[in-house]
Amino acid sequence: MLRVRVVDLGLVSPVRSQSVYHAVGYAFRPGDPPTILLVSTTDPYVSIGFHQDAEREVDLEHCRAAGLPVIRREVGGGAVYLDHNQVFTQWIFPRDALPARLEDRFALYVQPLVETYRSLGIDASWRPVNDVHVRGRKIGGTGAASLGDSEVLVGSLMFDFDHRQMARVLKVASEKMRDKVFQSLDEYVTTMRRELGTVPPRDEVVQRYLDACAAALGAELVPGTLTAQEEELAVQLDERFLSGEWLFQKGGLRQRAIKIHEDVRLVETAVKVPGGLIRVIVRVHRGRIDDLSLSGDFTLLPAVGLAAIEQAVRGLAAHRDELSWRIRDVYQALGMQSPGVTPDDFAGAIAQAVETA
Amino acid sequence: MRVSVDEAALVYRGCIIPEDLHYDVDRDVWVRFEDGSAVLGMTDPAQTRAGRLVAIRFKRAGTVVARGRALATIESGKWVGPFPAPFTCEILETNQTGFERDILLANKDPYGEGWLVRVRPLDRAELTSLVTGEEALRRYRARIDELDVQCFRCAE
Repeated sequence: MLRVRVVDLGLVSPVRSQSVYHAVGYAFRPGDPPTILLVSTTDPYVSIGFHQDAEREVDLEHCRAAGLPVIRREVGGGAVYLDHNQVFTQWIFPRDALPARLEDRFALYVQPLVETYRSLGIDASWRPVNDVHVRGRKIGGTGAASLGDSEVLVGSLMFDFDHRQMARVLKVASEKMRDKVFQSLDEYVTTMRRELGTVPPRDEVVQRYLDACAAALGAELVPGTLTAQEEELAVQLDERFLSGEWLFQKGGLRQRAIKIHEDVRLVETAVKVPGGLIRVIVRVHRGRIDDLSLSGDFTLLPAVGLAAIEQAVRGLAAHRDELSWRIRDVYQALGMQSPGVTPDDFAGAIAQAVETA
Repeated sequence: MRVSVDEAALVYRGCIIPEDLHYDVDRDVWVRFEDGSAVLGMTDPAQTRAGRLVAIRFKRAGTVVARGRALATIESGKWVGPFPAPFTCEILETNQTGFERDILLANKDPYGEGWLVRVRPLDRAELTSLVTGEEALRRYRARIDELDVQCFRCAE
């Protein structure tokens, strides 16, 4: 029977909550047992994806002022605000103890998370490839990486999540966009607190999770501690992860949209047209316009026409012709005028934003 | 869709494995030897398993990388990992410009425009573990079965 070492570190410093699974991953040698780490952070921080550009994605000035460390991880994805209300569930496994296909690997990793939530009465399910959803709302994402000779999967048990702080730490082009991020998180992200009306005891949830891991893996879970080598490596990585050189390395990952979850993305764009600048904030749900906010420096009469356009195109995809047709209807119905800005200009700007998402 | 394959190739479960290249099958890296240097890239199964790339970061030209260590790190929508060196080598050139132009190069054309790095091999003995021709095709058939992978490439 597969034996898995379980190391429950409880609360550790922000940087250690990230460095520790890297340390176990890099210290891993073929023949070592798989490890499940459980860890929470004592204090809030911002974790950014391996290839993200910190200055472009995170409001570093705010983070500095608020005393929030920003820590780059060697796992992909976007920036996320984390605090003590999540327990990170980090698997550091030998390659041959996991399915070769990433989809299957996520299915295995997500299963105990889903079962833990379900055992608490939360209607959670796997949203491939790597989300856990509760009736269309995300309750935590997951990530995968190859670190040294190990394969790593990370995710969390989401006791609670601070949407306002999450929206605050991101670098966005406008405060209106920040409001939309907050609203979208509120609408499309959930937590145990939200689903249950209360935060269940950590130890009880962790025990349910470990039982589910043992069943999913068909493994015996053995409580353990970090080795001296892993501890030493974690100390070295703490230093590296806190260095400016590590944080400010240039990314290359250009995320033009903010991913709220697998099916929901939020994007802000601006398009110059003869009559001025059209600013578009659009939320796209499964390829269709879920929420739209138009603004800009053009003249449009009557002013209520803008809201009418926003309303008229909800539910549509990025087909310019269909968007144009709907917007022309609004122009006609309201007798709208907008010198230098045509219905086609609005349609083009909206379509471009939707395509970007 | 365009895939650069000059010579004969195995097509197995949608995966293209050109016969004229050398391979590190376990690390899923192809090697084309040219005038003392070697061009390296992700194989078709490798790009399929990773999925659509979203970012890539190359080690600098001039860096010496030991066998198995990362020549570049790759991020797809679902995974981050190394593009490993099949043998100890010095990086001569990277395809950074190509990937800056189109991050999906390796997903679209893994054996052509989607090459990753040109290197100078530093340990001739390590080259003997690479396979080519019939041997490579045989090993890849087995590996593709083992991984249960069905290859696909990104359209333009």
